[in-house]
Amino acid sequence: MEWKPDWGLRGRMVLTMFLLFALYIVFVAILSRYMGLFGVVVVMGLFSLGQFFFSDRLALYSMGASKVEEDEYPQLHAMVGRLSQQADLPKPTVAVAETQVPNAFATGRSPKNSTVCVTKGLLHTLDEDELEGVLAHELAHVKNRDVMVMTIASFLSTIAFMIVRWGWLFGGNRNRQGGGGMIVAILVSLVVWIVSFVLIRTLSRYREYSADRGGAAITGKPSALASALLSISGRMDRVPQEDLREQSEMNAFFVIPIRSGFVGRIFSTHPPTEKRVERLREMAAEMER
Amino acid sequence: MGLFDSIRSVFGLSAEADATRDADPEDLFGMSTAYLTMEANLDFVPIDAAALCFSAVDSTDFTDAVDEVEAILHAGESDTGTRFRRYEDDHGYHWVVLDDDDPEDLVTSVHFAADTFVEEGFGSRLLDAVFGFERPRDGARAYWIYSFRRGTYYPFAPTGSHERDRRLEFKLQSVLDGELAVEGDESYWYPLWPDDPDGHPWE
Repeated sequence: MEWKPDWGLRGRMVLTMFLLFALYIVFVAILSRYMGLFGVVVVMGLFSLGQFFFSDRLALYSMGASKVEEDEYPQLHAMVGRLSQQADLPKPTVAVAETQVPNAFATGRSPKNSTVCVTKGLLHTLDEDELEGVLAHELAHVKNRDVMVMTIASFLSTIAFMIVRWGWLFGGNRNRQGGGGMIVAILVSLVVWIVSFVLIRTLSRYREYSADRGGAAITGKPSALASALLSISGRMDRVPQEDLREQSEMNAFFVIPIRSGFVGRIFSTHPPTEKRVERLREMAAEMER
Repeated sequence: MGLFDSIRSVFGLSAEADATRDADPEDLFGMSTAYLTMEANLDFVPIDAAALCFSAVDSTDFTDAVDEVEAILHAGESDTGTRFRRYEDDHGYHWVVLDDDDPEDLVTSVHFAADTFVEEGFGSRLLDAVFGFERPRDGARAYWIYSFRRGTYYPFAPTGSHERDRRLEFKLQSVLDGELAVEGDESYWYPLWPDDPDGHPWE
């Protein structure tokens, strides 16, 4: 069973990554002129290591999720195990979050250290096929190493943000030339931060489409994920606002992000649900051809 | 992880590529001699049954492929005397269960069925071939599971509803290693819990 490769998606992803890479090279080149390359490299190294090793625990902690054992959730464990086998992944740790907002996410720096987390709300909302579709989507993220790809992609962007935010602390009390240099560095960082932000969000949306395709390939049922996406986004609009705002910072990890009216499409981490469903339906149709 | 795998990951293609990768049923034949070793060295006798586990696909072509497999097994029944039945477990996975008191015939029939899946273009949906053993002395149960996704075998020795006898599994691994291509990475030794704690994974 195979589908036509989505060359458009691949091409756009390569282009986005190339633009981001080019932007970062220019950024580092300019920065090293004004700040000295050594400092940049040290700060970068420490930061990326920290993010790489702690992001998963942080994500689980902030969601109030905890690891569950095989005898507590035998069905869920069995499902994750078999889907992992189909995807040729070691079975990840399974976690459940207490919240009633239906959602799921995957974390971990490598397939061996990964965790798949679902909320209680998700378990209540979806039927078995749909749940399988969502879990497969998350396993596809693990398989595609999306945490690593996105960490690397956002890394210099975060440095740029830190320079914009804290750079003035280091600018003032040096000689005149150093002070001027810092202003340039801050301005450059600001531009880099804005542009890279848009590019990273674009890349994130392409990774979602990829994970949808991967998930559908794992379950062999593109329509199950489509129907899960529709039931989740349908319920999303009805759950109380309070709950949603608390969790909106977790959006990048979710299967469907929590909607906020003023954030435009280009800033969203996920593509619109309708578009994802449409593409999954195309895959389902292709299977009957 | 090789360079090619890394590149596929970067472009977000790994999941799709690995989930649709075809199965390799060739190593199944290693099981014929393993049956002898299990009995001679470890006192484990065959339970006269083996099974093929696969995950369904939401398409008419797939239903046709399963019909084809059934037809072929049906035709083989008179030849080898291997009886077969279909089973769907609690998790929605499908099984073809084969009964025969000649292990050689079991291996042949499993291979035959797997081959048909591959020929019909659905080799990627084959998960495992499971061969059952029992130790008459204490009734301990053990399975050799062939993972079509990885082309390797791993031992599985369930004791209760969700417990497995790790010591026995390691013993099976050390005795049969070399004779079978045993999976070296234990994180790929997926348990296949039966629906009924006293039953086989396909019951």
